Amino acid sequence: MTQQIQPRIILLKEGTDSSQGLPQIISNINACQAIAEAVRTTLGPRGMDKLIIDDRKKATISNDGATILKLLNVVHPAARILVDIAKSQDAQVGDGTTSVVILACEFLRQMKPFLEEGVHPRVVIHALRRGTQLALDRLDEIAVKIAKDDPAQVRSLLEKCATTALNSKLVAHQKEFFSKLVVDAVMLLDELLPLDMIGIKKVAGGALEDTRLVSGVAFKKTFSYAGFEMQPKKYANPKIALLNIELELRAERENAEVRVKSVEEYQKVVDTEWNILYDKLVTLHKAGVKIVLSKLPIGDVATQWCADRDMFCAGRVPEEDLRRTQKACGGRIHTTVVGLTDATLGTCELFEEVQIGADRYNLFTGCPRARTCTIVLRGGAEQFMEETERSLHDAIMIVRRARKNDSVVAGGGAIDMELSYHLRQHSRNVTSKQQLLIGAMAKAFELIPRQLCDNAGFDATFVLNKLRNRHANGDLWAGVDIQREDVADNFTACVWEPALVKANAIVAASEAACSMLSVDETVKNPASSSTLPNENKPVKPGRGMGRPC
Amino acid sequence: MALHVPRAPGFYSMMKEGARHYAGMDEAVFRNIEACCQMSGMTSTCYGPVGMNKIVINHIGKHFITKDAATVLQELEVAHPAAKMLVLSSKQQEQEAGDGTNLCLMLAGFLLKEAESVLRMGLSPTEVVAGYEKALEMAQKMLEDQIVGQVSDVRDIAQVEPLIRCAVMSKQFGLHERLARLISEACISVLPQGGHFDVDRVRVCKVLGGSVDGSRLIGGMVFRRAAEGDVTQVIPESGRVKVAVFACPVDFLQTETKGTVLMETAAELANFSVEEERIMEAQVRSLAEAGARVVVSGGKVGELALHYLNHYNILALRVSSKFDLRRLATATGAIALPRLTTPTAEEMGSCSRVVTQEVGDTNVVVFEEDNCKISTVLLRASTENLLDDLERAVDDGVNAYKALTRNPRFVSGGGATEAALAVKLAAAAEAEPGLEQYAISRFANALDAVVKTLATNCCLNGAETLSKIHAELAAGRKHIGIFCDPDSGESAVANVSERGLSDLLLVKQWALRLACRSACTVLSVDEIIMSRPAGGPKPRGPGGDDDD
Repeated sequence: MTQQIQPRIILLKEGTDSSQGLPQIISNINACQAIAEAVRTTLGPRGMDKLIIDDRKKATISNDGATILKLLNVVHPAARILVDIAKSQDAQVGDGTTSVVILACEFLRQMKPFLEEGVHPRVVIHALRRGTQLALDRLDEIAVKIAKDDPAQVRSLLEKCATTALNSKLVAHQKEFFSKLVVDAVMLLDELLPLDMIGIKKVAGGALEDTRLVSGVAFKKTFSYAGFEMQPKKYANPKIALLNIELELRAERENAEVRVKSVEEYQKVVDTEWNILYDKLVTLHKAGVKIVLSKLPIGDVATQWCADRDMFCAGRVPEEDLRRTQKACGGRIHTTVVGLTDATLGTCELFEEVQIGADRYNLFTGCPRARTCTIVLRGGAEQFMEETERSLHDAIMIVRRARKNDSVVAGGGAIDMELSYHLRQHSRNVTSKQQLLIGAMAKAFELIPRQLCDNAGFDATFVLNKLRNRHANGDLWAGVDIQREDVADNFTACVWEPALVKANAIVAASEAACSMLSVDETVKNPASSSTLPNENKPVKPGRGMGRPC
Repeated sequence: MALHVPRAPGFYSMMKEGARHYAGMDEAVFRNIEACCQMSGMTSTCYGPVGMNKIVINHIGKHFITKDAATVLQELEVAHPAAKMLVLSSKQQEQEAGDGTNLCLMLAGFLLKEAESVLRMGLSPTEVVAGYEKALEMAQKMLEDQIVGQVSDVRDIAQVEPLIRCAVMSKQFGLHERLARLISEACISVLPQGGHFDVDRVRVCKVLGGSVDGSRLIGGMVFRRAAEGDVTQVIPESGRVKVAVFACPVDFLQTETKGTVLMETAAELANFSVEEERIMEAQVRSLAEAGARVVVSGGKVGELALHYLNHYNILALRVSSKFDLRRLATATGAIALPRLTTPTAEEMGSCSRVVTQEVGDTNVVVFEEDNCKISTVLLRASTENLLDDLERAVDDGVNAYKALTRNPRFVSGGGATEAALAVKLAAAAEAEPGLEQYAISRFANALDAVVKTLATNCCLNGAETLSKIHAELAAGRKHIGIFCDPDSGESAVANVSERGLSDLLLVKQWALRLACRSACTVLSVDEIIMSRPAGGPKPRGPGGDDDD
């Protein structure tokens, strides 16, 4: 009875988990350290890769921070912030995802002792914001601008940036080869530099060096019907029709019905169906089309018909490839063959079907509006090629950014050491609590060179002492020399990265650290049991991500 | 023989099994107070510019990192009936004033806490309620005396911005300068001549990546979606871009009634698709001839339609949200047509430019307008949670502007108004002859407690700061509150109105009123009867669909 009179006050729903206060902040920081531990060894040219097996038993080998974090399926509320910043770095610059995560964690780790000693988190946040601003100003000040009017100089800049990006990847051994390839690819694009206009195709087998860049479009031979063997596989200056039409006997409309009264009429209907198909083909043929590509299937009747008339056809071409063909060769994608003119047809200098590895590939080269290109990747294992693709993606993004913003800084920990030195110098002139905090931030920036050394198996303390000394003596670009286990001027050593990458990493890391520090309570509602979370439920639109506003 | 009167059954036997019943001071009143205090205590650390954030994970696993009390409460799903009343009052505050939800909630909590001690002293709840009502009346009058000034021109950014900044400051300290600028510019640009300000006209578009400094204002509407066809931008050499808006899919209409196309002859079969193509082409051609350069569709854009739209060089965009479609129609002055017809000149909308931009790695289509009825704040940040919280801050800022257009008067912020009211109320309580005296002085204490909380959150010693403020006020100085310096991050007691800290009168008025009313309601409950919760599927939770 007493139980009934004095029950516990239930303010929130049963099962709600609520934790708060300073211990909560500290525990959040600890959770982030665990995440950082998972990715820190992947940093730099001597970083190690991770093999991750997801819930569908698919193995992925990667050293890309964003990929690893995505596959880890982090559920801890605070640690999810880190996954978010890796994603944002990926979206904004495309590379530096590992550094942004470990930088954020290092900020937090350096601030932890202060919090434990009772400094209010808000004071720490304020110091972080201020330190970030100082670092960004310094970055702007020392970044080297490259004149854009000299094409040769721009090219060498881009290649150096690509090399630095690829340095830390799986394909580091072939970095010269790939950096050239990547820069060539990006140079082919138009002013807007749309990423989806660079196609990356993977063909198993062969060596990495067999990878080639096609300045035009290449795609794998599509499924074809009988008669395909008889079609010519090589054309010079063909007219290309891009279709969104099924070239096959088909129902004109799904809910159409034909009612006939006599056998003759029935025969006529059958003939008409054939004629509709033939009419389309004849229109194409009359317009002088040599190559017919369609998003939808091209049946065996049409294939045979084309073969008889010296035409090439391919159905079920993936949409992105068709669009790229359109961008390269001109013309339009037709949903009807009515109104076909030369202006709506594309052309290219040479079309051929070639053997690459075990696959047949359709190649369109010498396109009049070659605003697109295709990288045909070769390599052994499938995971290896996937990782190569990710590496190339990062390098391409870096080159795109570098082409848009032309200021660069030296990588290999040089810029980080310089920022650290600058912040430390600045902190000495501050009188308030901020002195210690900005000093701690300066220490956090040293993490990147330290981690580079650790991953390469160097004596980090020794190298860092040397670096600190060099920077104190005004050597701006002294960084870790991975080849010789020493320090070197990384700017003359051509280890360059776009300033934007660094700037974004610093901002993202500090924003993440700030929001982590500003949380003093986590309240977790029990998942609604009537429906499974996420999957079976008509979830609110967007859920923060996909909702078009 | 005496008449047998059966004994009346006890309370529990009258109800269905599982019902709960609490009555009396100890069981109902004090327990309600305790529950409410617990809840308001939860959000009290969020109060003020340097309050702390909370991570709230709601029942579908979505994360919120915020210090907006309304959001925290909404996602918390408070179960206690009395505490729910406080939640409702803070929701009402959000609707009435758009801001000050936390103030309302905290004040109600403190009022109840203070009431507890007088109740234990022996006053009856009705007496406390009467006293509180009286105190509220006095406070509202005193509030009028606290007015610092008023905004003479709601279009003057120099006057508006400081007020918006204070509203945003309490949500996003450190980023408030930038956000306040954006919000005030956005709001002023969409304020119609002589009309009412509509909060719906300031839109927010969130794109992950970059930094908060990359946020900017775009005159017109922004859609996070790429154009459907080949045409990605329309920039006219002169004049305006005509926009046709369709609420339906741009495709062949499907019949609702089940029907089949019946063909009798081969010729009909042969002509069927030719005819279809001809109709669609005629349709698109007539659109093009009417001058439309952009077609916005509420549903999907059919492949054949897209083919002809490309052919006639018309940009096609799909907008799946009905609300967005309606807003776009307002922005461009178009009428959303329910079926695919050629719009007349009046039904056709227009804007200055339609362009595609790459923001981060997202392509957005922007309907630009030089003097627009809708403007969009494009927010950038490095995490989703931060983006969501920024959006809430923008919403609060916009609401503050709306309140400003209704009542341009403002009082000083930073706890100065509360402190001044508390001192005056305490003095007024002394002069009160009846039992209300106690309640009125408790009301003053509750206001003091709010100031104390603010001080604690600003890493100051609460009691010490409060006494300092009281001393300053007693010395005849005015507008003494807590000022938190955004540059050094240090807080101190200062004249806040000199430092430009001001809150809208409207917000304070409503917060006082709603807090007092909800506290009184909770106090006047002396019995709670809860029936057994029904089985079956859970009814739709609070909050519901937030599709704007």
